[in-house]
Amino acid sequence: MTRQTESSTISSAEAAGVDRATTGGLALGQRILVSPQFLLVATIVVFSAFVTLQSPQYLSVLNWTNILRNAVFIFIVGAFSTYVLVSAGLDLSVGSIFVVGALTVANLLFAGVPIWLSIAVAVAFGVVAGLVNGVLVNYVQIPSFIVTLGMLYVARGLATFVTGGRPIAPLPEAFNVIGQGDIFGVPLLIVYAVVVGVVAHVILEYTPFGLALRAIGGNREAARVAGIDVRRISVVVYMLSGASAAFAGMLMSARLGSGQPSVGTGFELQVISAVIIGGTSMFGGIGSVTGTALGALVLSILANGLILLRIDPTLQNVMVGCIIVAAVAIDQFRRSRMFRAFRR
Amino acid sequence: MNGTGGPATDSASDHPLLELRNAFKAFGYVVALENASLSAYAGSVVALVGDNGAGKSTMVKVLAGVHGMDSGELFVDGLPVTIDKPSDAQGLGISTVFQDLALVEALDIAANVYLGRPIKRGLFVNRPAMLEGAADLLRDLRIRVPSVRVPVGSLSGGQRQGVAIARSVLQQGRVIVMDEPTAALGVRETRHVEEIIAELRNSGRAIVLVSHDLELVFRMADRIEVLRLGAVQGVRETKSTTREEIVGLITGLLNEPSVGGHEPVANQVPA
Repeated sequence: MTRQTESSTISSAEAAGVDRATTGGLALGQRILVSPQFLLVATIVVFSAFVTLQSPQYLSVLNWTNILRNAVFIFIVGAFSTYVLVSAGLDLSVGSIFVVGALTVANLLFAGVPIWLSIAVAVAFGVVAGLVNGVLVNYVQIPSFIVTLGMLYVARGLATFVTGGRPIAPLPEAFNVIGQGDIFGVPLLIVYAVVVGVVAHVILEYTPFGLALRAIGGNREAARVAGIDVRRISVVVYMLSGASAAFAGMLMSARLGSGQPSVGTGFELQVISAVIIGGTSMFGGIGSVTGTALGALVLSILANGLILLRIDPTLQNVMVGCIIVAAVAIDQFRRSRMFRAFRR
Repeated sequence: MNGTGGPATDSASDHPLLELRNAFKAFGYVVALENASLSAYAGSVVALVGDNGAGKSTMVKVLAGVHGMDSGELFVDGLPVTIDKPSDAQGLGISTVFQDLALVEALDIAANVYLGRPIKRGLFVNRPAMLEGAADLLRDLRIRVPSVRVPVGSLSGGQRQGVAIARSVLQQGRVIVMDEPTAALGVRETRHVEEIIAELRNSGRAIVLVSHDLELVFRMADRIEVLRLGAVQGVRETKSTTREEIVGLITGLLNEPSVGGHEPVANQVPA
């Protein structure tokens, strides 16, 4: 029954009478056109051209440094939220774990704990929160939406309660440099994002772990009967997500030079927006770290560009909302062209 | 291939490569397998037939390590073994082609063929080797696909079946269990799967073929085992039986006392 509705590209490939399995792929041009990133890059270019016409300082090095620096936090967490979504999970708790990281490091530093130890403890809290998420999702089999929604409240509540909910300042200058310094004129924050992004990308695309988590997201039962330790890998994914959120929160305290209890509110939604806009599917199996990088960049460019255009910043939310829905619509369309038995 | 025993030809006919004895499996109060047994010989096809709910799929999943048995014994090459998880079955050389094929639509053919056991190079996946290996394998099996880079989601039913079978072949399975391999296929594709099954048998593998299709079973099987209500209703040599007899066994009109006096569904749940 699905035969009749199959896409024309597939039937033509079949009709071409390919009687030998080949290792060939699509032509480069085709690959670019069907790639989820193509539209994003086009959007960025068109929007940038428009903003530049109105406000030439948009293209300045200083402005782009700002745009990139603002994208760093969303991207570092988004890289691993990509893992979570590709493995068909969801992590709503990253905003709260972000504030846990930010306040933990600030309080420990304020109490005189060495910098490296403060950072290690903050990240460890993120790992533990991710471990709890992962175990509840995979071994107690509570839906990830519920588990991480619970963690969203618990983590933020605990962080506020334990620290008293007051801003912590000042922090040692040696720590603040981590978030404020630069190297050869490039902000350190951007350097971290590049390093984290490259590592996350390589793991997802080129290692057995990355392949396994993609298989889990695409068809969990198939992955299981193929001998993949589905639950263990999924737990590790949530731990990575928690660790990245706490790490990013720590960086935020360094950048601000203080521990602010208000950071990270609504952050999880920005992260998920960036991941979705970047072409990662809500239904698992499909997604990339490079896409998430572009998604984070789009959010940052929009925020920056709309200010330069002197458009009311509250309208930014309207645009972001439209882009998210459009991104998912494109994903659905792509899947329906790609897969015959398209059921979602 | 057949490293442990003596000459392959002799042992092939004498000792089963795979033997399941007195398997019990219950899901809550539903008894799926009740004292069920199965033997599969190298270079031979044993068909497993039976009505819906006879326990065929449960037996497949027990052999694949998806379900554990409540009790029962399993022998490979005459040695007692246990299968607790899918990787145990694979380690023993038992590969399974599931009815739902267990493929990941979002991944390409090469990744599906090597699912769960990718070729590695250090810490990384060796993509080029997997692409080559998958393409060679599909070429050998004469499974026609546009390219091993296309996602499995874009393939036809027959092509998917081919990919699933290719995976079981790649696992170097000495025993290949196929659950309804032709259920979703057209005539031409069914013929092709039959050719593949014949080739696998001729290469010395033991094939367990689960099917509703008695035409297929009579064409392919050397022996036919009939399951009914979780128990073995009878085992016949294909040469010396008839469709009427098999249908009689499936429906329960014929009973074979030697198998141990089958009685209507037991209320006795194994401990």
